[in-house]
Amino acid sequence: MNEFLQNIEQSGFASWVRESPSIFAFPSILLVHTIGMGIVAGISGGINLRILGMAPAIKLAPLQRFLPVLWFGFWVNAITGTMLLTSDVSLKLHNPDFYIKMAFIAISLILLRIMRNDVFGSPEAETGKFSTRSKMLAWASLFCWLVVITSGRLLAYVGNYSNLK
Amino acid sequence: MDSNLAHIHLLLNHFPTIGFAIGFILLVIGTIVKNEEIKHASLVILFLIALIAIPTYLSGPAALDKICERVSGQVVCPPGLSLTLIQEHEDWALFAFSVMEVTGFIAWLGLWQMRRTPKLGTANLAAVLLLGAISFGLMAVAANKGGDIRHPEIQSEQAIQMAKDGTRVPIARAIGNFVIAKTWVWPTCESLHFVGLSLLFVAVLFVNLRVLGIGKSLAFSSVYQFLPLGLIGFGVNLVTGMMFFLASPQQYIHNVEFHRKIVFVLLCGVNVLYFMLFDKAWRVKAGEDAPISSKVAAAISIYLWIGVLYYGEMLPFLGNSF
Repeated sequence: MNEFLQNIEQSGFASWVRESPSIFAFPSILLVHTIGMGIVAGISGGINLRILGMAPAIKLAPLQRFLPVLWFGFWVNAITGTMLLTSDVSLKLHNPDFYIKMAFIAISLILLRIMRNDVFGSPEAETGKFSTRSKMLAWASLFCWLVVITSGRLLAYVGNYSNLK
Repeated sequence: MDSNLAHIHLLLNHFPTIGFAIGFILLVIGTIVKNEEIKHASLVILFLIALIAIPTYLSGPAALDKICERVSGQVVCPPGLSLTLIQEHEDWALFAFSVMEVTGFIAWLGLWQMRRTPKLGTANLAAVLLLGAISFGLMAVAANKGGDIRHPEIQSEQAIQMAKDGTRVPIARAIGNFVIAKTWVWPTCESLHFVGLSLLFVAVLFVNLRVLGIGKSLAFSSVYQFLPLGLIGFGVNLVTGMMFFLASPQQYIHNVEFHRKIVFVLLCGVNVLYFMLFDKAWRVKAGEDAPISSKVAAAISIYLWIGVLYYGEMLPFLGNSF
């Protein structure tokens, strides 16, 4: 397994991401990953905060139109995240923080799916008065994205980490 | 570049005093004559001055580097200049800057609220008047201390002694030392900086994308309600960003990417005023397409914020930051 990971890490692409002085390598990939984070957490955060009572003039149903933007940000980050991962995969996969981040991304996506089915389609989306369950889902989603962002940033600081930040 | 920054400090430092005084006096006049338009204008001025105060404060250490030298980590000033007075100036400037930013924040909230109801709320008015008076007082002391830097003869015996002993630690340095000494502070601030960015993006995305045509069944006036979340995100990032700056001003004042980032932040501040002061976007009802000028402003907004992220991300790669 370790040999396999090292092979990935030593590949031309992973070396380029890690070592190239070009700003199109690590710096730009990280920049796009950050923009993607802003899109995913921004759209999801806005929807959650609306359910929790902020910006009461906004109807929930039209906010669904922004979900494709969220998914665009998600796939951009899945791709850029994989690119960043290859550059020091053997360290990352031995860092518990990395698994915390992945687990909370998975929970966030499950929460998003539940909310899309149960909250967006429900009568409460029209009235703007949300049930305790919907509000709990929104709080849980906010908390999960907070953990994802924090654990992602801390990948550069905790466990086995490289000098790449 | 550094000598330019020193000049920029000398040029900008008039704004937080004179400009803020003009804004504040206008607000007092507006309150006395009960004229909401004068109050509105004064809030715009106070917000813009709070923005200009950011590069004014940040260029301070560059001005110090221009007039004094660093010899093995110690700042050594030539005869005729007093480091003690420079440090006192820096302390008061930090106080003044902090209160001025809070004042600008509340002035902005007042402007935001006046878009919906033409009369400025009493609580907001009282808060801006009180904080504005405190900001102006602190800024006047800071400016006065700044003017004294070339007059070392006026410093007290006690101050001279403390400078000799090296016992006086300026507040900015004390905060900076704390950030450096405690290894958890920097990563915590970085994480919060990213959370603040996400909060900022709530406003940036929903407001601008609506104007550009996504979620057209929302009236502009409804997504407008998200704007304060963006300002809260900006506030989080100003505080955490200041922590980085105070910890290591040298890596920012000599970093051109940082200068560009601050210019873009200021342009973003001006850009948001378009949506708050002009009627074109405000009048866009549910189901309506926004006029082209509003779409251009929205596109510029997204460009500017991506620019802020770009220069922030490139600080360690193109510049000298860690």
